[in-house]
Amino acid sequence: MVALNTGITQELKIDLATTSVRELNSELHAPTARRYEVHNPRGAEAIAVGLHDAVDVEVHGPAGYYCAGMNMHADIVVHGNVGTGVAENMMSGSVRVKGDASQSAGATAHGGLLVIEGSASMRCGISMKGVDIVVGGDVGPMSAFMAQAGRLVVCGDAGDGLGDSIYEARLYVRGSVASLGADCVEKEMRDEHVAELTELLARAGMAHAASEFRRFGSARQLYHFAAHNSAAY
Amino acid sequence: MCGIVGLHLKNPALQPELGRLLVPMIEAMTSRGPDSAGLALYDDEGMHVVKDVGLPRDICAAHDIASRSGYQAVGHTRMATESAITPEHAHPFTPAPDLALVHNGSFSNHASVRRNLAFDGITCTTDNDSEVAARFIGREIANGADLEDAMRMVLKEFDGFFTLLVTTATQFAVLRDSFACKPAVIAETADYVAMASEYHALAELPGIGNARIVEPEPERVYAWSR
Repeated sequence: MVALNTGITQELKIDLATTSVRELNSELHAPTARRYEVHNPRGAEAIAVGLHDAVDVEVHGPAGYYCAGMNMHADIVVHGNVGTGVAENMMSGSVRVKGDASQSAGATAHGGLLVIEGSASMRCGISMKGVDIVVGGDVGPMSAFMAQAGRLVVCGDAGDGLGDSIYEARLYVRGSVASLGADCVEKEMRDEHVAELTELLARAGMAHAASEFRRFGSARQLYHFAAHNSAAY
Repeated sequence: MCGIVGLHLKNPALQPELGRLLVPMIEAMTSRGPDSAGLALYDDEGMHVVKDVGLPRDICAAHDIASRSGYQAVGHTRMATESAITPEHAHPFTPAPDLALVHNGSFSNHASVRRNLAFDGITCTTDNDSEVAARFIGREIANGADLEDAMRMVLKEFDGFFTLLVTTATQFAVLRDSFACKPAVIAETADYVAMASEYHALAELPGIGNARIVEPEPERVYAWSR
């Protein structure tokens, strides 16, 4: 690790060619600086996982599985692609991916903002529980599967089975939707939806107008066991 | 869990480097499969197969994989979940002199398919589920299907989870199951097509920073020919 004394905030530069991910995460769990630069990630797994302080982390290069998982308070930027489960179970803070994301981006996340400037693969926002996810490109099949709360914004197209078995998350899609999953339906864009989408797009730095999007959500038909079907079992 | 890697060279100038490029790829997949490992390398003389138990690093060193040349290769690191850990149970499975299959996942109806193959006189040499898929694809090709069609038949006949990488003397093809349960990433440049279970297996390849990176969609065959 190399300490860079910038005079404003202390910054640490960490080279994963010579430092292990475990050493990196140990430093980030008890931070001695406010800002971190991580170099040579080369797709390593579990980079910047479990942070609970308001630090800035910039990862320069592609990150592997579970990058920024369980994040609280920290603002993490990845200048590259990320593997499976970026920002999974995030509680707060923000994660910005300047490339593409693999499967299960933002899985089960409770809060915070996840921005993927490129596209996200399958199961983006699976079981999301309050996180806001903004994807600049497309999302793959089965995105927002069992999504419970939060907002998923897709500036491109959505793959098959969007929002299957969705609960109360709100989905906004600008492009086409290949197909909707069970119990997911298109819903009216009311003023409050335009307002919240406008605010989300601005926070994510996306230039699109909210009027270009359609809204999807739960038909609430799977919520209750239908007693008249009980004989079938 | 298992790890898959594959490299299909488009630029002949890289052919002397095939082994040197492949070794870091398969070593990167050690954490996905530390039990045993195997490789199939293709050069102008044909397909050469190495399978053994132990760590990929040791197997590559023992067989001097880094010095091998050729135009295409597949590799597999195995974490056994359903049959014994022996060199015979290691991947790739090679039911024909130029056909190699590596598999990450598990087939749930392999016993049924195995019986059906036996009716056609095709017998497996191990009780491994992946070998059944290799023999199945081998039969389809022997009956006239091209590799892509033979792999689509896997979607119809097999239940289970799979990412498959299958090669012949001229083709290199990837297929994932309907839910894409098992990971896969493909990188393509003007010089090569590379495939791996995880990106970090590709991180040392030349020009990877400018490669076109794709995650294969479910039920779609991605194939390249030479």
